[in-house]
Amino acid sequence: MSAAPERIDGGRWDALPAWLRPRADDTGSGRDRRLIEITVLVLIGVLLAVATVRDVVLQTEVNHRLVADLATWRAYSGHDYHNLTTEQDIKRHTTREIVCGNTSPGAPKARTQLCLIMSGPVVHGRRAVRGGYSLPPRLLFDVRSARHGCFGTAVGEGLCGKS
Amino acid sequence: MSSSLAANAAALPAARSDVRPRWAVALAGLCGLLLVAATAEIVLDGALAHSPLIPRSPAIAGWLGGIGERLGYRVFLIALLAFTGAYAVLLALRGRGLLGDVSTRWAIGLIVLLHALIFAGPILLSTDVFSYIAYARMGVEHGLNPYLHGPSAIAGDSVYRYVGLDWVHVATAYGPLYTLLSYPLAPLGVKGALWGMKVQALLAGAGTLVLTWRCARLRNLDPAFALLAVGANPLYLIYGLGGAHNDLILTFLMMAAVALTLAGTRAGGSVEGAGGSAAAGRSGRYAWAGAAVVAGALVKATGAVLLPFVVLSRRSLAPLVGAALALLVGLLLAYAVFGIHGVNIVSALNRDSAFVSTDSFPTEVAHLFGKPGVFPVDHTLLKAALAAILLYLMWLTWRGYDWVAASGWALLAIAVTSTWLLAWYTLWALPLAAVARDRRLLFATLAVQLLFIVHQTAPLIAPVQ
Repeated sequence: MSAAPERIDGGRWDALPAWLRPRADDTGSGRDRRLIEITVLVLIGVLLAVATVRDVVLQTEVNHRLVADLATWRAYSGHDYHNLTTEQDIKRHTTREIVCGNTSPGAPKARTQLCLIMSGPVVHGRRAVRGGYSLPPRLLFDVRSARHGCFGTAVGEGLCGKS
Repeated sequence: MSSSLAANAAALPAARSDVRPRWAVALAGLCGLLLVAATAEIVLDGALAHSPLIPRSPAIAGWLGGIGERLGYRVFLIALLAFTGAYAVLLALRGRGLLGDVSTRWAIGLIVLLHALIFAGPILLSTDVFSYIAYARMGVEHGLNPYLHGPSAIAGDSVYRYVGLDWVHVATAYGPLYTLLSYPLAPLGVKGALWGMKVQALLAGAGTLVLTWRCARLRNLDPAFALLAVGANPLYLIYGLGGAHNDLILTFLMMAAVALTLAGTRAGGSVEGAGGSAAAGRSGRYAWAGAAVVAGALVKATGAVLLPFVVLSRRSLAPLVGAALALLVGLLLAYAVFGIHGVNIVSALNRDSAFVSTDSFPTEVAHLFGKPGVFPVDHTLLKAALAAILLYLMWLTWRGYDWVAASGWALLAIAVTSTWLLAWYTLWALPLAAVARDRRLLFATLAVQLLFIVHQTAPLIAPVQ
């Protein structure tokens, strides 16, 4: 990676930064073709850079929301539990999340679980609870038929097999 | 030809060793210290284990554990970013010839120290090495074919608890040569095999660096710059060597192929017209280069991508003959040990190409356009795009473009279009980029690596409890 002056093609490439200029012994890459290649490479680079930054922003928002979800569940239930599960809306990419946790001390999912549906923005480290339901103890998966005690939006959405 | 040599000679810092500003030397020293400090921070904190960044592992670095604190995302990411910044500054200083001759010895010393630190530390960031050990133990200790069963077939084995959850039911996707290389380590127990894997990665990494140096010299490029570009690279050191990944064996064999080809060209060129013995020597080296490419592909199938570029650039059948003979020997050996499943590397490659990781560029682009991820049709489009890129690169190589650069671009294109991107996949192109005639390749490779690192930084901005 030399910074030594290399006048190639009569200085045609001098306007470009050093790393984009061809070496004196870089054969096989025609003049116009090289310009096209550089344009394509820069366009791909911009696309990847924008996609990466956008993805970091998305992840940051998700992380921010998840922290608020956990704090909201603890505040709502009055239990300072740390073994909580969060289900995101990965199909529609909304901010709606369902956070579940035990209602009394015990191993994860060993007791009756309280599940809260949260959506909307984070305000003062909390999110709005729109509804929820309960799950029986020792249930491995959150299935509609096992849910009971639906309230709030969970009733309208028909999330419970029995209310 | 003479102007070309003059331009190349200018690339060597020796020609400008009188230009060595004090500030540049001081800045380089600071960067070197930062690299060592960041590595030490990761290694010492990681030695305590109980970190989401350190896979569950037998205690191999416990003696380092009393100094640091538990490694969290925040500290790790700050260390990684500091490392990356220092690396970029060092490369810029050396690339601009501001450090003179003295920096060559320092560069070697720095790289040796960084390697020693990583080698002494725990396994970083990946459970893959435990999959390697599990496959080896399946074959040697349990009489099971690792091309037919996943590690769950040896759930009672002491290594099983360390294998990544995603991989316990997955048969090996690695080439038969790598599986055979791992077999001698299986009887050493999990801890012994783990050290064996670390030694393998260290030796392969060191071999890659030696060959990178040699190839840079053969091409009249600055060998210290090439050495720094690869040996002090954050993803090479922290992810590649830190995880004892077999990708380093692949890069070693690829660089062996490059070195043999360059040596063959030089040997042939220096005695051009002198007779048949020189031509025979050159063909012999090309044949060995073809064999080295195949050996790399028998470690990880991706390595095969170099072969068409070697053949097209040399305009000789010798690499093809060497490759064919090596393939014949390799496949016979694989068939004898693993049966037909050990020979069918393509099916494992097809299976793995369907995987999707959150770090892959196609996934990021899909998110950018509001899609939840990549779909089967995207896989087809990506494969078509990759095929078009490879054909274009082959055409360029046929027209005289540097085959080393073409191979590097091909490997970089594979990593970028893959829906399953891991940090160590971005290392495939790196040593080739360091010795390529096309400067754009190194810049593009480092840019891709930088984007990968940037993509890891979300927990730094919004930490998760």
